[in-house]
Amino acid sequence: MNTVQHKVKMICGALALLGLAACASEKTPATADVAVSRAAVANATSAGAADLAPEEMKSAREKMMRANQALAAKDYKLAQDLAAQAQADAQLAQSKANSAKATAAADELQQSIRVLRDEVNRNSTPQQ
Amino acid sequence: MKLMTKLRILPAAVAVAIVLSACSSAPITTSELDGARGDFVAAQSNPAVAANAPVEFKAAADALDRANAAAAQKESLADIDKLAYLAKQKIAVAQEVTKQRQAEANVAQAGRQRDEVRLEARTAEADKARMAAERAKADADAARQQADAAAASARDEQAKAAALQQQLNDLQAKQTDRGLVITLNDVLFNVDKAELSAEGMRTAQKLADVLAQEPKSMVLIEGFTDSTGSSSHNLDLSQRRADAVRQALVGMGVPGNKISTKGYGAAYPVAGNTDAASRQLNRRVEIVLSQNGAPITNRR
Repeated sequence: MNTVQHKVKMICGALALLGLAACASEKTPATADVAVSRAAVANATSAGAADLAPEEMKSAREKMMRANQALAAKDYKLAQDLAAQAQADAQLAQSKANSAKATAAADELQQSIRVLRDEVNRNSTPQQ
Repeated sequence: MKLMTKLRILPAAVAVAIVLSACSSAPITTSELDGARGDFVAAQSNPAVAANAPVEFKAAADALDRANAAAAQKESLADIDKLAYLAKQKIAVAQEVTKQRQAEANVAQAGRQRDEVRLEARTAEADKARMAAERAKADADAARQQADAAAASARDEQAKAAALQQQLNDLQAKQTDRGLVITLNDVLFNVDKAELSAEGMRTAQKLADVLAQEPKSMVLIEGFTDSTGSSSHNLDLSQRRADAVRQALVGMGVPGNKISTKGYGAAYPVAGNTDAASRQLNRRVEIVLSQNGAPITNRR
């Protein structure tokens, strides 16, 4: 009886050790993921995503905040999940900002060409 | 203390998980995963996406594969949803990158278009300037031609006036207050006759030429004789001589309504009637020319 209980205790201990080891090995990747997401949010901000993709930025920031909280609470799986989502949101925000800027530039250029064409047509009307 | 409770429930939790995962057998999906699949199909059927954002599209495809695998392996709905969400966001990234690259290509092409339009504008301006210059040159040429023509016409007028003056000088015309006076002397008529001699006709022709150049002119032909002979004979002769000149002029094309005649006989002599020479001087026809057409005043 004592030996069985002892064996169970040992197995539980081993499992616990495995669990702890697994937990410990999740901390580094989780911290890395959170850092990567923070960088992604920063990139999106400097691309002007705050104005051009406000919803995605809001979502990214929120999830970053919760990822940090999860990291502090040592809930590494949650931290990784939230970090991955924050990163995806930030990338979407940045790409939206870039496409908005490129589209605006293209529209402006087309407009200026129209204006230029109108001027040319006006000036080339035959004079009496 | 906590650790000990954790160690006790850990094996039980593991056992429960194994049992749960073995229960469901039907293929599972979530609305989030369906949404992601739909988005993916839309992106896949747009050839611009593969052309403009191949890297982002591949990442999206990989993310969807992971979500589909999770569903196939019947992982938790929460986990499937998390993977589906990531896939959805990555598909959207591929779409946005496509938009961005298309807009950039548009800008490049528009830049070329703008250069073309600018070139068109400059060419049109140059053409306009050239046409304006040509018009100006044509105007200048026309103006010069007009000036040349005017100068030529003025020279013509001058030459004509000079020629006329020469003719009048030739006829020894004198300017008086009654008009221009040309005197035809006695030798232009045959003796005691009212016929113009050959030289008389030549002189009449010169006069006719002058009158042709000045169509406004009015002419008064006055005939005079010397004092020999009766006054009635002299009046008659002087009148007939004046008429002869008129007839000659009309025959040379001068309109008759411009010419009047008057005979004065021996009146208004210009010389003494004392010798042959002076008498010859009195035997004359005076032609008064009013060049501007004003009526000629008679002698008192």
